[in-house]
Amino acid sequence: MLRELNPLLHSQLRLAIVSILLSVDEADFVYLKEQTGATAGNLSVQIDKLASAGYIGVKKEFVGKKTRTTCQITERGRDAFEQYVEALKEYLKL
Amino acid sequence: MEEKKLNEKESLELITQMIRQSRKNIGTGSGNRFLLYGYLAVVLAVVVFALVSTTGNSVWAAAWFLMFAPFIYTTVHDRKHRPAVITYTDRMIDETWKVIGTLFVITVLTMMILGYALGSVNFGLMMPLALIYCGIGTSITGLVIKDSVLAYLPLFGLVFAIYMLMTLPALQHVPATWHLYFGISFLIMMVIPGHNLNAKCRK
Repeated sequence: MLRELNPLLHSQLRLAIVSILLSVDEADFVYLKEQTGATAGNLSVQIDKLASAGYIGVKKEFVGKKTRTTCQITERGRDAFEQYVEALKEYLKL
Repeated sequence: MEEKKLNEKESLELITQMIRQSRKNIGTGSGNRFLLYGYLAVVLAVVVFALVSTTGNSVWAAAWFLMFAPFIYTTVHDRKHRPAVITYTDRMIDETWKVIGTLFVITVLTMMILGYALGSVNFGLMMPLALIYCGIGTSITGLVIKDSVLAYLPLFGLVFAIYMLMTLPALQHVPATWHLYFGISFLIMMVIPGHNLNAKCRK
């Protein structure tokens, strides 16, 4: 029987965010926005969802007078992503 | 990018596309930091050599402490201009140079404390040690970014460090020529690989 795909990762924008964060050590909000082409509002909502699940860590800090949000994938997020890809392979019979 | 339900094939394609795209957009860095330290060392080597040999006063060698100036400048600059993305390679290089920087601080402090306790201090020992520390740091950076010039050329610069360490015990004071050797070492260790790295990045 095929295992269920993680609903939190099985969404276009959230999957894109996690995929990007998997290939870098950390990325800021502007970079994620540019890479995904998402709107700031939507990106912010999806980042919050991933952070609430413990899949990514979010750090907010001041750089000069501006706030800067950086994201980093967590061990939990990495494990969830690996399981998600394994499940995808089963579906696609790879 | 909108929220839409993906099928399995689209998911896998999206993962591949995002990873490939983010890797493509990440710059490979540049040799500017090496050039900053390298050229400063070369200029200081000539100036210190000229001052020490014309005045005969080795106190001018204290000008070498100006080598810490770029570190202060780059630390302040990096805090104000954080990059949008930090790769694992960036982190590895950053951590390597933090260790090298700590080594410098510990060495200077130890020499000062021991010098105070013993009644005299010969900062001449800093020269071969600085060459070894910087040479190793540069080589590790070269290995991490897979640049063989940056990885292996600094090892030739270390020849001067070995020469200094071997001759130091027999010397009463540091010869003025050591300042020039130090500058030549930095030329081999940082300036040449720095330009080579920049040329590669431009391509």
